[in-house]
Amino acid sequence: MIEFQNVSKIYSNGTRALKDVSLKVDKGEFVFIVGSSGAGKSTFLKLIMCEERPNSGEIIVNGRELSTLKKREVPFIRRTMGIVFQDFRLIDTMTVFENVAFAMHIVGASNKEIRKRVPYILGLVNLQNKAKCHPAELSGGEQQRVGLARALVNNPKLIIADEPTGNIDPALSFEIVDLLNEINRRGTTILMVTHEHTLVKHFHKRVVEIHDGTIVADTASQKEEERHED
Amino acid sequence: MKIRSLGYLFKEGVKNIWSNRTMSIASVGVLVSCLLLTGAAVVFSYNINSAMKTIEGNNSVRIYMTQDLPTLSAIKVGEEIKKLDNIKTCEFVPKDEAIQQYMKILGDKNGTMLQGMTGKDNPLPDAFKVSFKDLSKYKDTAAQIKKIPGVATINDYSDVAAKLTRLDKVVTMAGFWIILLLSLVSLFIISNTIRVTMFSRRVEISIMKSVGATNGFIRVPFIVEGIIIGMLSGALSSFLLFLIYDKMVGSITSITLFSPVDISPMAGKILLAFMLAGTLFGAVGGVISISKYLKKEGGEIVGW
Ligand SMILES: Nc1ncnc2c1ncn2[C@@H]1O[C@H](COP(=O)(O)OP(=O)(O)OP(=O)(O)O)[C@@H](O)[C@H]1O
Ligand SMILES: [Mg+2]
Repeated sequence: MIEFQNVSKIYSNGTRALKDVSLKVDKGEFVFIVGSSGAGKSTFLKLIMCEERPNSGEIIVNGRELSTLKKREVPFIRRTMGIVFQDFRLIDTMTVFENVAFAMHIVGASNKEIRKRVPYILGLVNLQNKAKCHPAELSGGEQQRVGLARALVNNPKLIIADEPTGNIDPALSFEIVDLLNEINRRGTTILMVTHEHTLVKHFHKRVVEIHDGTIVADTASQKEEERHED
Repeated sequence: MKIRSLGYLFKEGVKNIWSNRTMSIASVGVLVSCLLLTGAAVVFSYNINSAMKTIEGNNSVRIYMTQDLPTLSAIKVGEEIKKLDNIKTCEFVPKDEAIQQYMKILGDKNGTMLQGMTGKDNPLPDAFKVSFKDLSKYKDTAAQIKKIPGVATINDYSDVAAKLTRLDKVVTMAGFWIILLLSLVSLFIISNTIRVTMFSRRVEISIMKSVGATNGFIRVPFIVEGIIIGMLSGALSSFLLFLIYDKMVGSITSITLFSPVDISPMAGKILLAFMLAGTLFGAVGGVISISKYLKKEGGEIVGW
């Protein structure tokens, strides 16, 4: 599903965010990405979603070598991913409903589908009562869940979540990862950046640790039997 | 982009006009002033053209006698003029008749204003209204007429025509530069207005891109917005042009002999032209305003 081959990323200001990273994530995996602040986790995800381009190395997503991607193809590869951004990225002139619906409008969904699907997804993240609110009227955790709802709404084959529980209390965090786990069980690949060790410990998933731009630890992906136990 | 997205994108465009009202109002203002000045230049040049046509159509010249020439001698001069080759018609205009015409034109029905200028005190000389067979031989004929004793001046309309032609050229040139300058100024104002209000929209654009919207998809509401603003400006400026022109025609006809053209038959054309120009400007403005941001990716747009 995702393959990094000796990928390096140097930002224009000279920061070496990733150094010679190689990694393979199979279809249907659930991977936690951990590491201290500034380690390069968000950079790793931004390379996958084509928001940044690597300085060297190859990235293959869904069998597609990203460096061969034309600019106008980028939106279409992004649509195959549900992305939860660390900085939420909600449109503040739109209501919660409209923000989530926007992702469906992009792919040309009908109004009927949208009216059915959006409330359902908002219900999954416990925001059914906030549909008419604007992002500015929401708490950080609520905004984050709107972002999650938007990432889930099109049923993507890959979910990339950059600290989706960063602003959420522990109980709700577990609920959310449970939700992601359920989605993963149905075959969706999930990459999730997190700082919460309790989450990582509780859900026995593959953990990739990035430190100072390199992968310093990578547990093997969990076996099918173990996954059924938790 | 699917067809059914268009409905949604259209609605978004309309909504954006309201959410960005400062920019919308500023854009309408700039567009209206630009269109109005363009329209004014066009209408002015149209008037000059029509005035020239009237003069050319008349093809007549007034020949004034010397001030104290007795009417009888004047009539003799008339006979002389008629003998010349190039004369088609030659009509005597006695000074009494001339002064009466002036009174009528000036709206002085009772003759109070020019009272005491009739009869012996009439300041106007006798004259002939002459038309030529061949206007191109005008200069020779005029010279021959001038030689006839008793002829004071020839009121040279072709000179007026030449002046009008020159004026028309000046107006066209000035109009061109005014329009060019105004377009530049309005582009400057529009882009500045956009720059000020663009921050929130810039974030919006980058978010739309980061969740997989194509540039086309993002562009449509902006174009819709521009077109609506443009059409609004077109309608508003043609309305204003008619209003102002009507007022001006009213006051101009009452103080001069010149009668401005009635533009009401062209109302439809002007409205259409203004709407089209506004639409084009608006759409192009909408595209220009975002193209800078569409080229970039995520963080580059807002500096995340
Ligand atoms: N757009 C950018 N331009 C320059 N440097 C950047 C940019 N984005 C990130 N960096 C730098 O790259 C390094 C890695 O950043 P990254 O955002 O990937 O860290 P992170 O692991 O996600 O951290 P956090 O846990 O705080 O989110 C940092 O040193 C950061 O300062
Ligand atoms: Mg980060």
